[in-house]
Amino acid sequence: MAECVKVCTANFGKGAQDIEVYKKLGGYANISEKLFNMSQFELIDYVQRSNLRGRGGAGFPTGMKWSFVPRNSGKPVYIVVNADEGEGGTFKDHFLMLEDPHRLIEGLIIAGWALGSRAAYIYCRGEFLPCIESINKALNQAYAAGYLGENIMGTKFCFDIFVHRGAGAYICGEETALINSLEGQKGQPRLKPPFPAVSGAWKSPTCVNNVETIMALPWILSHEPEEYARMGTPRAGGTKVFCISGDVKNPGVYEAPLGTPMMTMINDYAGGVVGGKLKAVLPGGSSCAPLTAEEAAVATMDYECLASMKTMFGSGAMIVINDTHNMVDLLNCLGNFYSHESCGQCTPCREGTGLLHRMLNLIVAGKGHDGDVELMQSLCGGFGGVTICPLSISLGGPVSSYTAKFRADFDEYIAKNPDHAKPRVQETYRPGIFW
Amino acid sequence: MSNYYNMPKLPTENSPKVEIFVDDKPVMVPGDTNLLEALKAVGIETPHVCYHPFLPVSGNCRQCLVEQEGPRGRMLVIACYTPVAPGMKIYTPASSARVKNARRATQEFMLVNHPLDCPICDKAGECTLQENYMEAGQNESRMRPEYGKNYHGNPAHQFIDAKGQLRGGKHVDLGPRVLLDEERCVQCDRCVRFMRSIAGSEQLQLAGRADHTYITTFPGEKLDHEYDLCVTDVCPVGAMTAKYFRFQKRVWLLSHTPTVSMDDSLGANIWLDHADGRIYRVMPRCNPEVNRSWLSNTSRLAFQNFGKNRLPFMGFHVIQNLVSGVKAEGGKIALAAGGTCTIEDLAALRMLKDSLGDSAELFGGTFKKVGSPDGIAMSGDPMANRAGFKLMGVPENNLADLTKRAGEFKLLLTVNLDIFGEDASQASALEKIQNRVVLSAFNDETAAHGTLSCGVRHWSEVQGTMVNSLNILQKLNACPVCPDEKIRPAYEILSELAGCMFESAADAFKHAGKYAAALSGLSYDTIKSTGKLLEGGEA
Ligand SMILES: Cc1cc2nc3c(=O)[nH]c(=O)nc-3n(C[C@H](O)[C@H](O)[C@H](O)COP(=O)(O)O)c2cc1C
Ligand code: SF4
Ligand code: SF4
Ligand code: SF4
Ligand code: FES
Repeated sequence: MAECVKVCTANFGKGAQDIEVYKKLGGYANISEKLFNMSQFELIDYVQRSNLRGRGGAGFPTGMKWSFVPRNSGKPVYIVVNADEGEGGTFKDHFLMLEDPHRLIEGLIIAGWALGSRAAYIYCRGEFLPCIESINKALNQAYAAGYLGENIMGTKFCFDIFVHRGAGAYICGEETALINSLEGQKGQPRLKPPFPAVSGAWKSPTCVNNVETIMALPWILSHEPEEYARMGTPRAGGTKVFCISGDVKNPGVYEAPLGTPMMTMINDYAGGVVGGKLKAVLPGGSSCAPLTAEEAAVATMDYECLASMKTMFGSGAMIVINDTHNMVDLLNCLGNFYSHESCGQCTPCREGTGLLHRMLNLIVAGKGHDGDVELMQSLCGGFGGVTICPLSISLGGPVSSYTAKFRADFDEYIAKNPDHAKPRVQETYRPGIFW
Repeated sequence: MSNYYNMPKLPTENSPKVEIFVDDKPVMVPGDTNLLEALKAVGIETPHVCYHPFLPVSGNCRQCLVEQEGPRGRMLVIACYTPVAPGMKIYTPASSARVKNARRATQEFMLVNHPLDCPICDKAGECTLQENYMEAGQNESRMRPEYGKNYHGNPAHQFIDAKGQLRGGKHVDLGPRVLLDEERCVQCDRCVRFMRSIAGSEQLQLAGRADHTYITTFPGEKLDHEYDLCVTDVCPVGAMTAKYFRFQKRVWLLSHTPTVSMDDSLGANIWLDHADGRIYRVMPRCNPEVNRSWLSNTSRLAFQNFGKNRLPFMGFHVIQNLVSGVKAEGGKIALAAGGTCTIEDLAALRMLKDSLGDSAELFGGTFKKVGSPDGIAMSGDPMANRAGFKLMGVPENNLADLTKRAGEFKLLLTVNLDIFGEDASQASALEKIQNRVVLSAFNDETAAHGTLSCGVRHWSEVQGTMVNSLNILQKLNACPVCPDEKIRPAYEILSELAGCMFESAADAFKHAGKYAAALSGLSYDTIKSTGKLLEGGEA
């Protein structure tokens, strides 16, 4: 496998949690005249040229997102780092914050300058205690070294970073739910518009970015933006930190350029499939549609290719599944997860995810019936584009795609019910029971 | 939870009209509102659960879906949160199968974990779910009993019923006035939004998430607020129930009388829901200018005393003889009116004064404390028709004068004025007056102190008008619950004493025009149910 440039993971295993080590490795070099001589517009344009796209899941171009933040609105601009990593199979932000917290801080200072912001919040998943410790230690060092606080490096620029611990809800990774949670309200997504860029935290312009997105900034600034862009595909620049898990020899975090073939990732980086033959791959976290082994053979890891295969790049978390697994069991896990994590606002998501989970439970328990699969597919049709956030589709999508691609697995389970062909009986209450 | 700041903008008469295309047909709709209101303005109803015109939009039920043509093709959007834009293209179920199916799907989801025990549900007959089902659902159930239900509710209230089904709390005591049926709750968030943004209190909360979301108060705390019964109005289903009305009457057996609450000078618009000759329930009647959809507990529960302790009717001639006797002697007569007197009563009173000549003098007012408006549905002034008194030239604040000069008078006639009940120590001076005629609905303190006390109709039993603190002329309607048909409205007795009996409230109102220029051009029958803003008042 070709050695690739490490943008985010270069300092892994080098003890870069300590500011001196980080600086020796070239850290904080960007926080200099060069940065402060750039205007906000130049910097945003610079990032736009790098073709960096958000790494949180939606893949929205970062420079463009920044350009939406209104200037001179009379309100402070907040930067919020989305470190609530909750998607199944995703664990990159955890390692990034643990191994290289100073890079996150450096990236935030750059973002802070670009957006004219005074303060940033790192909304960290509550369970990530070691990360929080690591970041807090790094913050103390950065304050002591004068990279944060008042008049950074003798300029007029003042910038603070706060760490906020979430209470452990997947939905708080959705940016508006995250903002609600940050404000101290119940973590439920807000109606849009207004979008956070215009009215987010405390009704002020707010830019929410993933940890990895922010951590790519120092490298981009110390190189040419085109150099970063060249590493990826025409529509998405740079490298990506992939999480590979499941039935592979070496599960873990691997940085590779966007557009790397999927099988290269599995075989060369993660050491190949173990325990059986490849059955399916979830390319972008637990909420995306699976690719069969044949599809995986031709897929490349980038936004466009995966979108064309009717799945998504998401957070770049590949879950590799071998042929000893029944997809129904997997789907049942997802049902359990998403029905528990629905925030409970929208009717279809609140009631539907739970119903799907109960149906899947029955199928797995050998109590499925003919027609259950069709009913599930039809129920998922009721999710499409009608809810406040896409969480409902995070379960609806898999239900549709698993049942379409791996129908045999479902039929196998349903056949275990001796009464599977029994038709549905309408249970009707008739007057006489009540009076 | 979302966007508590988003109060819907409602169309008014002055809204600019814009052209939009509904199912490809051009229509003119109010341009400054949301799609749901705009469609309603042209007669297209959109089923909805969470939207309430006077609550911030939360957009969570997803029942009000319509299709909108956009840059990326036709998209499903929620009508309650989509602003009207000129030229927009909208598709309703009339032309779009997709919208029809989407609404149906939402309906199906809504019922997945709903008990559907309508036969024993208090809301049946006026339930939003039932209405939406007729409008948007009517689908055969596709569920199997095995799938089970996950009833919403506090885990502490759950139990397993005889069929082995997990159930939610059926009568959770939220506070002194409200009981919650957790199973029936559809998590529309209306009650929470009402308490938060209208009542200004965080007493109700949605706890938990997903299909184990439930409504609750903070541990150890109660729902106890002057407006807490409004949550039973805004609740679209049978989840929030009022203890006073729970299981008292099936709602379709109730008749509804639109009238105005006369215990406060805002004159909250209300429905008197009655059957079998008694009032069962008082509901707020929507009036955007006055009380919107809100009603204080005080005004709502006052009806429980309307039928109690009533003063019996007394022959008219006894009063007439007494009054004409005093007049013949040349004794001075004090005519004193209380705040629940309608414009018609006041017209009759003025006519009586005119007929008695200089020997009679008018008084009016209250000894009760006057508070300040609460911004919801109370003005704080217990003298309901104060503005009407001013308009009719009847004093509204000179009772102290009356007690001070009590010695001058030979006869006192009080109308709907419980002056002894309001302040017995001040009123005791009135006992110096030899003849005290009391016209009152109730056998109250003043009636007890009267030398001649005659029952009249209560304000809930009369036709009439009043002018509220916003200078809006509002109409009262008679609810047929008077305990004795012989009991007459005060204006009838007064006008007969004056020698010219009003035949009806409309007749009395015509006479009122003689005393108040602002009323002279109006006719009783043309006053709208939401009232009429009189000249000189601010909207
Ligand atoms: C249900 C849901 C969960 C999400 N969880 C996360 C998450 O854990 N971490 C994350 O970075 N983004 C998450 N997102 C995406 C964010 O909403 C948002 O797009 C992202 O933080 C933007 O950052 P980016 O532009 O840097 O990608 C989630 C989105 C949804 C709808
Ligand atoms: S789709 Fe689900 S998680 Fe998202 S806002 Fe609606 S109920 Fe909450
Ligand atoms: S709330 Fe009551 S009336 Fe309405 S659908 Fe449910 S059980 Fe029936
Ligand atoms: S109790 Fe009623 S108003 Fe409150 S959320 Fe439930 S259904 Fe809505
Ligand atoms: S009424 Fe529009 S979403 Fe509930």
